[in-house]
Amino acid sequence: MEKLIEQLKAQIIEALNFEDMTPADIDTDAPLFGEGLGLDSIDALELIMLMDREYGIKLADPKAGKAVFQSVRTMAEYIQANRTK
Amino acid sequence: MQVIHDIEITTTSVLLDGKTIAVEQTGDKLLVELYRRYAGDYPKFFKMDTLSRLGFIAAELLLKQSAISDQQLVDAVILANRSASIKNDTDYLATITEGNYYPSPALFVYTLPNIVTGEIAIRHHIQGETSFYILNSPEQLKPIVASTLTAKHSTALVGWCECSKQDNFYAKMQLIWRN
Amino acid sequence: MVYCIGHNIISPLGEGSQANVQAVRAGRSGLKLHADRFADVEPFCASLFDTPQEFVPLCVRSVEDALEMAIGRLPLAIGSLPETIFILSTTKGDNLDLLTPAQTIAQHFGNPNPPIVVSNACTSGVCAQITAKRLLDAGMYRHAIVIGCDLQTRFIVSGFQSFKALSPEPCRPFSPDRQGLNLGEAAAAIIYSSQKPEVRDQPSWILEAGSIHNDANHLSAPSRTGEGAYRCLTDVMAGVTPADIDLIGVHGTGTLYNDDMETIAIERAGLQDVKKSILKPFFGHTMGAAGIVETIIGLEMLGKGSFIKMLSGFGGVNAAIRLTCK
Repeated sequence: MEKLIEQLKAQIIEALNFEDMTPADIDTDAPLFGEGLGLDSIDALELIMLMDREYGIKLADPKAGKAVFQSVRTMAEYIQANRTK
Repeated sequence: MQVIHDIEITTTSVLLDGKTIAVEQTGDKLLVELYRRYAGDYPKFFKMDTLSRLGFIAAELLLKQSAISDQQLVDAVILANRSASIKNDTDYLATITEGNYYPSPALFVYTLPNIVTGEIAIRHHIQGETSFYILNSPEQLKPIVASTLTAKHSTALVGWCECSKQDNFYAKMQLIWRN
Repeated sequence: MVYCIGHNIISPLGEGSQANVQAVRAGRSGLKLHADRFADVEPFCASLFDTPQEFVPLCVRSVEDALEMAIGRLPLAIGSLPETIFILSTTKGDNLDLLTPAQTIAQHFGNPNPPIVVSNACTSGVCAQITAKRLLDAGMYRHAIVIGCDLQTRFIVSGFQSFKALSPEPCRPFSPDRQGLNLGEAAAAIIYSSQKPEVRDQPSWILEAGSIHNDANHLSAPSRTGEGAYRCLTDVMAGVTPADIDLIGVHGTGTLYNDDMETIAIERAGLQDVKKSILKPFFGHTMGAAGIVETIIGLEMLGKGSFIKMLSGFGGVNAAIRLTCK
């Protein structure tokens, strides 16, 4: 799980263009939206695409995504449980 | 129509009100260098495509030169180019190749040329007009701007903001005032 | 004064403005589910031509028909005149090339001036008409042939699907259970002139005012207070009151945020009691053509009176025009 979390942090940084960040800068349990990283609706959609491209998970409903995208940890747990790649 | 400030940015040089600004980098890295030196407080810059970065930086330097603060006075942002958003269109196309189909929403956002005017409006809280034209040459923009700014005391950011590839871009932008 | 002297629509609903007006009156929609049109793309509901069209010939046909209507109002072959400017409204042009098709179209009609392309996202069709009015008011040209066209492609559909903005069913603008927008394609032309038309018993529509404002809020979500749209409405309402307006052509895409924002802007401008023309359930969102298609239908459905057309688009931009025919 730890390896997945590190990998996921690096992928998030690249996908969302967080130029000045390293994985060490991202708190695994901090909220991704609202405070924390302060992601917006386009970022959410880009994360949905990331889940499909990297892990073969299709999230059809952005609202269901809210629970999945609470934090890096919840994302990693969901990926672990549902990945097809 | 009075030109208050003007800027010209090429892939290797920057000229602000006729004075050269020394830069170390070229191409897209030049834009990043200018961002770090003159802005640095707007992480969204790194989400932008090259065209939007180009327009963003040109506007940033022009408005910093002038006494105009964020919430005031810029009535319009009127930009034009010849290539529309072709560079970003090409980047987006790479995410929808057959057999490797993962359309990127973050890239699709920038497949419209007027987005650069939207980025400038958001940064500087400009709730005036934002318009984008595709023209054969910068000279064609003059009558369009002249016929747009008919009210007295209009201030506008106008100019040419062209990007056909990541390291092939050019901008000439002015802060103008109609009195 | 800027007079509308001719117009045309070519869409999946028919060829010619009248055919399209009749289709709307009869409640016919072009929206269908398309599963096989583009590779990899999920099935989508859209209004598409049965036979895929080519950008330039489609626009040329549209202009030719509009010019035929125009010559009945102003007996003058305006296409090739130096006093005539061609303005093309499009978001993705002919396979991502926006300027060349405009040049080819203008050259086809023998026009000596380099054409103008307006690319202001979904508001382009209204912005192009505003650009025409400004150039005519300034005396720089006497006639403007304004064309709007976008054709749906794998590029566009895939992008909107990545936004999860599309409804799998025909769109339901302003409805509580709306699920998103449908895409569409069309070509339309509208011709304006500062020379007064010579038709006695048929007064012309006059383009009275136009306004463009950015929300300065977010690139892909409108201002929650409808700020830009509200400012456009108040600008075009200068000198008239809500009671003077007979019809508003709304943007009404059927997305969650757009329709809410538009409702707020309309209420803020005092226009909530004015009849609305909601056309995307018939044509889908025709993007660069929308502002022109939806203006023409509004004028023809109303016949006479005072009409406002409003649109919003990506990049936070909003636009509105007001036309009157007395």
